[in-house]
Amino acid sequence: MKAVETFNLTKHYSRGKVKALNDFSLQVETGQIFSLLGPNGAGKTTFIKLLVGLAHPTAGHATVFGKSIKNYKMHQHIGYLSENHRFPEFLTAAQVLYYYGKMSGVSSSDLKDRIPKLLKQVNLTDWTNVKIQKYSKGMMQRLGLANALIPDPDILFLDEPTDGIDPVGRREIRDLLKALREQGKTVFLNSHLLSEVERVSDEVAILKNGKLLQKGRVEDFISVKEQYQVKVISENNKINEISEKLSIPVSYQNEFYNIAVQDDAHLNKFIDSVRRESITIQAIIPRKISLEDFFIDVIEDKNGEVK
Amino acid sequence: MKFLSIVQLTFRESLAKKTFIAFFGISTLTCLLFIFALNLDIVDGMQSSVSLFGAEIPATFDLREIIINIQSAVAALLFTGGIFMSLFATSSLIPTLLQPGFIDLFISKPVSRLEILTGRFIGATLIVACNILYLMIFSAIILLFKTGIWNWSYIVAGFIIVITFMILYTLMTFLSLLTKSGPFSLMLTYFIVFMSPLLIPRDQIYALLSSKVYAYILDGLYYFLPKTTELGNLTRLIVGGQEITSWMPLWSSLLFALFILSVSTYIFQRKNF
Repeated sequence: MKAVETFNLTKHYSRGKVKALNDFSLQVETGQIFSLLGPNGAGKTTFIKLLVGLAHPTAGHATVFGKSIKNYKMHQHIGYLSENHRFPEFLTAAQVLYYYGKMSGVSSSDLKDRIPKLLKQVNLTDWTNVKIQKYSKGMMQRLGLANALIPDPDILFLDEPTDGIDPVGRREIRDLLKALREQGKTVFLNSHLLSEVERVSDEVAILKNGKLLQKGRVEDFISVKEQYQVKVISENNKINEISEKLSIPVSYQNEFYNIAVQDDAHLNKFIDSVRRESITIQAIIPRKISLEDFFIDVIEDKNGEVK
Repeated sequence: MKFLSIVQLTFRESLAKKTFIAFFGISTLTCLLFIFALNLDIVDGMQSSVSLFGAEIPATFDLREIIINIQSAVAALLFTGGIFMSLFATSSLIPTLLQPGFIDLFISKPVSRLEILTGRFIGATLIVACNILYLMIFSAIILLFKTGIWNWSYIVAGFIIVITFMILYTLMTFLSLLTKSGPFSLMLTYFIVFMSPLLIPRDQIYALLSSKVYAYILDGLYYFLPKTTELGNLTRLIVGGQEITSWMPLWSSLLFALFILSVSTYIFQRKNF
């Protein structure tokens, strides 16, 4: 069963003047970290809002674990961290988790066990009984994450979860998300921090002006096909000669030769030639670009076609 | 359980607002005044003298009548000042609920929008009911101990005051959903409250108007809007144990509340956040 499935999901505001989402069809597999990327106003938050019932679609429909998003009861499988969540300031962290846990249908006895564990998980144990009006932005974000986890959901929708969190906290959240994936949970992420997304996500989708531009595995997006980085020990310009003989374009950067081959056989021919010259190969790495580079290429380039 | 947690959270939120603490303080102070200000001497099972704030009340007055007058005064105070204060204190509850980031925390949970809105509504009503009934029941008990007179009608009047608040709060809920503004919905609700006495002598207003259309409009407004003035009178009559000639102000106002709450629920169900 797919964790999320949308069929031509469309959302227009202001009587069609603002087209937040257009015919958006997407499938998200269970048990992975999926990220939705896009520039501001692309429709990422609208998409999550539709899935968690905060907004109603203009057209199309969607399911979460096979259940229609129109049915509020399916929210028991959902944990949601909104972009700008606001907890009542007169409550403490423990009280926040108690009330919203109850609202999620968690029993008092389960809450008694779960609240201290979750607060420990998000590093708020020392602040359990402090009113949240004294919390920093990062602490509020971590409490929001604990709140999303309180019903022990099958899927987490996180809108900018690392917003306002320092690098150490970001790493902790990253580790937490990976641990949740290990437990078989699905994480749906909206984030501007592409380096974070690259580190944790299995799959990403890129959205622009409410339309899906790209969807695929992160690994596939950042690997450059048939291009490799080769590191060798002192060869006295022999690599350039070999490359020229085999018609392989080559460039040298940061102690690596970047080569572009036609196929695997072509690469092996190159390796054989290098070895014949008794040059020591230290590493051959498929060339990668950053997700940010890929994202910018897609956003600046595209006409809206799904690849 | 989920619904109850919404009610509980709203109750706590109301309690966090200092207005209700002030309300509670005033109620306690009023009861303390009854304890210390009303003195009664009974000799051989007969009333010998009654003094209020140190002033002797002539023995010609019937004690039961004095108690009913005191209770009528408290009920009138609660009907005007109490409701006024309660509407003020609860005016921000619905606009706060609608705030981005706050509403998300409710709607993303497995609770229906109907439960969210009614939970909020009931939570607000509950804290007002607690405050009003606290003063009425506590003062009735003090008067019982001082005079031996218990007036059930006084407690019933307390419920009428709470119902009146509920009726007005449905209007405020509706206006808050439309405008997302607490002060604006409060002002408009007060306006409706102040319009109520103006609509009672509408027969006299008709005489001044040229077209019959105005008469229809005024009649329509009178029957549609909550009749707070008549509900106030009803409360007074109930405390005094007097005969109620018409319950129309109560049931028509309740119908208004039901209608407005249904419309509010519909709007809330359709809303995008």
